[in-house]
Amino acid sequence: MNTFGLVIGLITLAVIGIGAFWVIRGERVLGYLWWPYFIGAGVLLMVTSGFIKNDWCSALAGVIGASLVWGATEFKEQAIRAELGWYPFGNHKKRPPFAKIIQKWKPPNL
Amino acid sequence: MIFNYLGLAAGLAAFLGIWIGHVAVREIECRVVSITLPSIGFALLGFLCEIGAFLSASNLVSGTLGILGMTFLWDALEFHRQQKRIVKGRAPANPANPRHARILAEYPTATTLDLLKREPLGRPVGAQEAIALIKAKEKLL
Repeated sequence: MNTFGLVIGLITLAVIGIGAFWVIRGERVLGYLWWPYFIGAGVLLMVTSGFIKNDWCSALAGVIGASLVWGATEFKEQAIRAELGWYPFGNHKKRPPFAKIIQKWKPPNL
Repeated sequence: MIFNYLGLAAGLAAFLGIWIGHVAVREIECRVVSITLPSIGFALLGFLCEIGAFLSASNLVSGTLGILGMTFLWDALEFHRQQKRIVKGRAPANPANPRHARILAEYPTATTLDLLKREPLGRPVGAQEAIALIKAKEKLL
């Protein structure tokens, strides 16, 4: 009997739950244009997880990385939800570095 | 140094589990007359994955199945949450689906328009303007 998968699965649920929270908060404070940075951080964390010996820590890093990437794909729709008043709208968002270039890219939406 | 594939497998399982579940719940809920059977199906799939995770000696297989199983179990609940979004007008209703047609008739908040299908404007948007923006985009397509 191996409880590793069950426990990692439960931890993943918690990470996804926290993910929903930071996407709402992150979009309100930073704005959706930060999406490439979150994708980059997520991919970097997933690759880094391969260099962690401990299985628990490696899996956790991989899951958090995936959650960052998924959250980045949710940013655009979250921005529209806030505009519609379904969530609080942030009036003083921090523009990311290279915002003018990012604005020309189509944000991912899965 | 040996590369530990567990983290990558866990990350991919989490990302694909969320993505596939997200799309599947939206598409299935939109088409089926009753959400009971798909909910039970996803719950069953989730339980089977968790049993597989429990029985596997390999942490790689156990972790992957454990994560996929949990996302499927969550999707079983998501069918009900998606139906609530239809009622509130936060997801588009399908008038060809008798269950959605009933929701459209009973709840004035329900709509056939996908209010999220546009680019952000960077300012608050009122209900009438939001509808006009989507209709204008639909005319262009």
